[in-house]
Amino acid sequence: MHRHPPVSDSAPAAVAVEDLHKRFGELEVLKGVSLTAREGDVITLIGSSGSGKSTLLRCINMLEIPDDGRVVIGGESIALKKTRGGASVPADSRQVERIRTRLGMVFQSFNLWTHMTILQNVIEAPVHVLGVPKAEAVDRARMLLDKVGILAKADSYPVQLSGGQQQRAAIARALAMQPKVMLFDEPTSALDPELVGEVLRVIRQLADEGNTMILVTHEMGFAREVASKVVFLHQGRIEEEGSPDKVLTNPDSDRVRQFLSRHLSGAA
Amino acid sequence: MLELLSFGPNGWGGQLLMGTAMTVAVAVSAFAFGILVGSLGASAKLSHSLALNVVADVYTTIVRGIPELLVIYLLFFGGSGVATSIASAFGYDGRVDLNAFTIGVLAVGLISGAYSTEVIRGAVQSVPFGQIEAARACGMSRWLILRRVLVPQTLRFALPGLGNVWQLTLKDTALVSVTALAELMRITHLAAGATRQPFLFYSTAAVLYLMLTTISTALFNRAEISANRGVRRA
Repeated sequence: MHRHPPVSDSAPAAVAVEDLHKRFGELEVLKGVSLTAREGDVITLIGSSGSGKSTLLRCINMLEIPDDGRVVIGGESIALKKTRGGASVPADSRQVERIRTRLGMVFQSFNLWTHMTILQNVIEAPVHVLGVPKAEAVDRARMLLDKVGILAKADSYPVQLSGGQQQRAAIARALAMQPKVMLFDEPTSALDPELVGEVLRVIRQLADEGNTMILVTHEMGFAREVASKVVFLHQGRIEEEGSPDKVLTNPDSDRVRQFLSRHLSGAA
Repeated sequence: MLELLSFGPNGWGGQLLMGTAMTVAVAVSAFAFGILVGSLGASAKLSHSLALNVVADVYTTIVRGIPELLVIYLLFFGGSGVATSIASAFGYDGRVDLNAFTIGVLAVGLISGAYSTEVIRGAVQSVPFGQIEAARACGMSRWLILRRVLVPQTLRFALPGLGNVWQLTLKDTALVSVTALAELMRITHLAAGATRQPFLFYSTAAVLYLMLTTISTALFNRAEISANRGVRRA
C-alpha cells in the first residue's frame, strides 16, 4: 500500500485557519480550531458526527461564516465584520467570491445543477465567473470528464447518471476552476457501497498528482492511504493530529482509540 | 342567421375578431405585469425584512380577499385620482387620465400578481438549497446565481402554477368590459343587444374563449416539457 509522502514544513501555507469559533444558536460547534494545509498537503478530517468537521470545512470557503477567528487562503486573510445584531458577515463579498474561485468544493449530495447537462455544469463557472472563452472551457471540460471517466455522459442530465457518476461530474466541475485547494465534504457518504470505489479512485489520483486537498471522510482505510496528515476532531476541538500512521495506528488519545475501534472493525 | 357572424357589412365577424385581439392584448399585458408584481411580491415575502413581509401579505390578502370586479371599479373610479396626485407630487399640475386599456391591465395585473406571488414564492422554495450553495462555492455573485441557477429552476417549478394563473387572467379580462373597453365580452354584449340574438353571440364568445384557453394550455404544456428536461428520465 502506497502512502502520501510527508509535506515539508517549509512549504507555503495554502489554507490556514486560526482559532476558529462557530456557533449555531446555543450550540457551539467549533471551539477554537487552528489548522494549516501546506501546498501538496492532503488533510483528512475525521471524527464522530457532530464533531464539527464539516462545519470546519465549510468555514474555509465561507459557506459558514465563523463567529471568531481567521481564515487565510494563500496568504490572503478573509475580512469579516460584525453586524449591529452581532452576527459575523464578510466585509467584502467580492473578496469572498474571488477567494472561492480558488477553492474547489465537492459536496456529499453532489449538488449538480439539474437544469444543465453535465458539460454545461462543468463549463458554467469557468465561462461566467472566470470569463474563459467558451470553446476553451468546453475543451478543458471534455478533458476533465475523460479524466474522471464519464466523457460519454457529457450531454446527459444529472438525473440520468448514477450517484457515483454524478459525484465524479461534481469533481470535474470543481477542477474546471483550476483551484489551488480542493475541499471534499464526505464525498462518498451518499453513495451505494458498490459506487464508493470509483469516486475514491478519482480522489486518490488527484492526491497522487500533488493537489492540495482537505477531505472530510468516514473511510478510514482511504484516509490512511491518501493523507499526508490526519486531524481528529472531537466536540469542536482538535483532539489529535499527525501523520496517518501515528493517528490511525498509535494515537495518544483514548478517544481516538475508541473511535478507531468502532470504525476500523472489519476494515483491512 | 349565421350572416350575423360573417365579415360582411351586416356581420359582426370583424368586430368580434378585434375584440378577441383586444382580450389577448389585455391578458398578455396583465399577465406580464402580474409576473413582475408577483416576482417582487415573492421576493418581499421571502425577504428577512419584516416591513416587506407585511406589505406583501397585505397586498395578497386584500386582492385575493375582495371580488375581482370590485378591484376593477376601485381602479376605474379611483385610479385617475391616484395617478393625478402622484403626478402632482412630482410637480405636474394637470390631470392624469388613465385610459380604459391601462386601467384594465393594471386591475387584472394586480389580481394576477397576487396569485403569481404565491406561485413564485412556492417555486423559489422548491429549488434545492444545495444547488445554490454549489453556485456560491464556485464564486458566483448573487446576481449570477439569480440569473443562471435560481430563475431557471424557479421557472420550472412555477410553470404549472403560472399556467393556471394565465387561464384565470385571461378569463378575468371579461370583467374589464364594465369599463366599456372594446374587448371580446364587451363586443359580444353590444352585438347581442343590437341583433336580439344573445344566445348566438354569447355561445360564439364561449367558443372563442375556449379556443384561446385551449391553445394557451397547449403552449404551456410544451413549455413545461422543455423546462423539465433533466427532471424526468428521458
